[in-house]
Amino acid sequence: TEWNVSLWGTRRAFTEHVEKLAELVSEKTGGEFTLNISYGGLSNNRENLDGISIGAFEMAQFCAGYHADKNPSITVLELPFLGIESLEQEAAVSMALYQHPAVVADLARWNATLLMPSPLPQYNIVGSGDAPMTLADYEGMSVRAVGGIGAAMAAVGAVPTSMTASEVRQAMDSGVVKAVSFAPHAHMSFGTIESASWWTTNLNPGTVNCPVVVNSDALADLSDSEREALLSSVDEALDYYIEFYNGETMAAWGPALEERGIEQISYPESELTAFRDAVAGPAAAAWVEDNAAKGLPAQEILDFVTDQIAETGM
Amino acid sequence: MAGGAQVLQDDSTLSRLDRSFYKLERVLALLSGLAVFGLMILAVVSVGGRNVMNAPLPGYVDWIEQAMPLIAFMGVSYTQRDGGHIRMDMVVGALKGRVLYAAEFLTTFAVLVLMVLLVWGTWAHFQRSFDFGSPLWSRDSSMDIALPIWPAKLLAPVAFAVLCVRLVLQLVGYGRAFRTGTDAPVAVPLVIDVATQARLEAEQLSGRDD
Amino acid sequence: MDSIEIGLWVTGGLLVFVVLGMRVAFAAALAGLVGLIWIFWDKKDYASDEFVWALTVAVKTAGQVPHSKVSSQALSLIPTFILIGYLAYYAGLTKALFEAAKRWIAWVPGGLAVSTVFATAGFAAVSGASVATAAVFARIAIPEMLAIGYDKRFAAGVVAAAGTLASLIPPSAILVIYAIIVEQDVGKLLLAGFVPGVFSAFVYASLIIGMALALPNFGPPVGGFTWRERFASLPPALPIVFVVVIIIFFVYNPFGGDAWGTPTEGGALGAFVVFLMALYRGMRWGELKSALLETAKLSVMIFTIIWGVLIYVRFLGFADLPHAFADWISGLEQSPMLTLVCILLAYAVLGMFMDAIGMLLLTLPVVYPAVMALNGGVDVAAADSAFGMSGPMCAIWFGILVVKMAEFCLITPPIGLNCFVVAGVRDDLTVQDVFRGVTPFFIADGITIALLVAFPSIVLWLPSLA
Ligand code: NA
Ligand code: NA
Repeated sequence: TEWNVSLWGTRRAFTEHVEKLAELVSEKTGGEFTLNISYGGLSNNRENLDGISIGAFEMAQFCAGYHADKNPSITVLELPFLGIESLEQEAAVSMALYQHPAVVADLARWNATLLMPSPLPQYNIVGSGDAPMTLADYEGMSVRAVGGIGAAMAAVGAVPTSMTASEVRQAMDSGVVKAVSFAPHAHMSFGTIESASWWTTNLNPGTVNCPVVVNSDALADLSDSEREALLSSVDEALDYYIEFYNGETMAAWGPALEERGIEQISYPESELTAFRDAVAGPAAAAWVEDNAAKGLPAQEILDFVTDQIAETGM
Repeated sequence: MAGGAQVLQDDSTLSRLDRSFYKLERVLALLSGLAVFGLMILAVVSVGGRNVMNAPLPGYVDWIEQAMPLIAFMGVSYTQRDGGHIRMDMVVGALKGRVLYAAEFLTTFAVLVLMVLLVWGTWAHFQRSFDFGSPLWSRDSSMDIALPIWPAKLLAPVAFAVLCVRLVLQLVGYGRAFRTGTDAPVAVPLVIDVATQARLEAEQLSGRDD
Repeated sequence: MDSIEIGLWVTGGLLVFVVLGMRVAFAAALAGLVGLIWIFWDKKDYASDEFVWALTVAVKTAGQVPHSKVSSQALSLIPTFILIGYLAYYAGLTKALFEAAKRWIAWVPGGLAVSTVFATAGFAAVSGASVATAAVFARIAIPEMLAIGYDKRFAAGVVAAAGTLASLIPPSAILVIYAIIVEQDVGKLLLAGFVPGVFSAFVYASLIIGMALALPNFGPPVGGFTWRERFASLPPALPIVFVVVIIIFFVYNPFGGDAWGTPTEGGALGAFVVFLMALYRGMRWGELKSALLETAKLSVMIFTIIWGVLIYVRFLGFADLPHAFADWISGLEQSPMLTLVCILLAYAVLGMFMDAIGMLLLTLPVVYPAVMALNGGVDVAAADSAFGMSGPMCAIWFGILVVKMAEFCLITPPIGLNCFVVAGVRDDLTVQDVFRGVTPFFIADGITIALLVAFPSIVLWLPSLA
């Protein structure tokens, strides 16, 4: 069996679990089952779920925030200040949520089965100009931040401003935005740190959720040994991903900041608590209301996630 | 490579259909032009809002993405009617009479088959983003301000269906020309020599600077 | 069948459709759709009961492309740039530019032809499309050159060649298209076109001056303008400067401060200024409506090619052809520079028969990864690269080279759109006359391209500052 896998961009930390999965599956089946990974050749990143639903390819990666209405159930993991502290914890919480019946049903509309997450660290903010030493300094600052993080920034008076990732560097150079919220690997690959003067170490406003899914029919059509080879490799692929992200990306991140003389800002706990109180509750309440209207058991999903975070924390 | 052609007319039913349909196509194309104008105004508002009032337009990119299909698709049939989609006419330009009409009929027929399939394909794309049961009927939304995307996706099958009607008219035109062997077929874009065609293009710009 | 083989067969079929006179956009979409059906059916070993499945998946895959590819913020630059060109015409900017250029520089040998080149370069700074630029200047510049005794073929050739500057000097629709295909920074590419565009204009001007000095009975210099007359010619042309400044400042602030916005916004703001100017000059709804219809028509034509070709490109992705071609090119045992020159020569040949945008869209998805691989990869550092520049810089450099090649093809026979248009404007000129008149400029373009290849810093200097 040969599966086509639709990713985008180029091979990077964010895709290492899929690369690892391909390696493991091929190894375990003696080359009988292969994953043929394509970076952008098969689909646009925002149409990967469509491609899965059509059956054009068998596996794909996407981010929930690209199209909330396509996958409302998993956008819960993009709410601000959920309190997830590590990639390991995010992987565990995501894997648990992916088994929730309401989530399974949500993705089943696309004939998709959630396979694994692509856990990303908190989208801390890189910016140019004077560093915001207190949260009040965010008043009127234009920040490139999407989804729940955008809402969080708006709550402290910042102005969320949007553009595609490839326009971000230019927007920052040109002053269209003063600050950008990204994962560290993206801050490095999109060059935002080149024109930055400060970074928030502990604002931790939230992150995005980018699962890898498979076409449900294709999964069912696999022979038992092939399916076993695929599913049994997920944990190892995820471990490899987290190790790679922590080891390679985060190890490069600190020195990258220091090389460029970027100021690292840490806010006192009292300040952060005030921020969370102002943002987290209202954002979660709005999420529950919107998604209940879509027919989801929204409160139940949110409670499930909160419980999982409490369980996996500590 | 060339685009632009002449379309002859007479008082046959076909020619009358051609002209009435052309009026509809023109309205759609003008919509597309107005969307370009709207895009320009939107940018002025966005820049002004950001720099003058420190109040950026929320969802600026989302709105642009909604406007683009309007610009890209609505004039597709208008352009086809006038023979404005570019092609290489070295071979057809050398053909005459029935051979020419037969060749044009065949390629036009192939395009009709393609467009009927694409009406299906783009309709399916629209359908995946549309759900009567959801708020705003939306099953796919934009990135920043979560606008429903189905209206923009619907434009493609609508514009392509209009193009299919135009292609059928052109097929009838070529078929009739083949049957009668006429020198002056109506309702189809005629291959004209490049110089004439370039003059037509240039005349579109005539006016103020003369 | 091997997917690469399917890819080659379908590509052959596409060329047959195009030669038979099918509209390029539809030929590419049809080839892509047929290819997708083939690939999916092949996956099911051509079982007859699986054909409907293959057809359905292929149609739905192709059906995603038109909406998903055109809904792009970056592509919104194209219609805006086209609109600026039409509005500038109604604002009377073309004539004002030519008059100013004439009064200031027509005193050099071959003066009126040189003025034409620089007036066109000025108009290029507001117009995004070469063909429209050539059409406009054919009406203004050729009569004046003929009146003082220029050879009519040469006069036509000057306009046809100078018109090509519009696609290098920003704004430029074709540079935007390149940036989008290869996913590079639009602003940097636009910026990169500026110096080579002006450089090209100077090469054209030097060629004309050289010819004027060498040939007897060439068009005489035009002198005798007073300084008062010279300065009087400037105000009507000033809006051009204003628009240029807006666009430049929205891409890059030369004084080291923040740029004022994104290229998308700069283009739109420039169009708005020209729109106000045209209103002031008496443009009314009837003229605005025809400007909007013409903008719509040209935009639709370009967007139809874009989605049509991208359906074909989607099929190439499933056939994995770009990857295979890149491997093949980077495996060649000859110097990368020789391979690059061969690629550029191949564009010269292809461009004789094809339109610029169609040519780039069709070839770049395969050729661009190959060129990047040739240089040592997308992320290569300048020190480790074959051409002595980093991956992103190589993308910019190659973009300008390819666009310059595509522009060169607008004046080469048998299909040179600019020459057709110039001949079309003038009843006394045949297409052959214009092709004859434009021949000297082949040499100028050859020199320009060779210099851009040999001295990449001409291209890369400005974008490397930004
Ligand atoms: Na230009
Ligand atoms: Na040519």
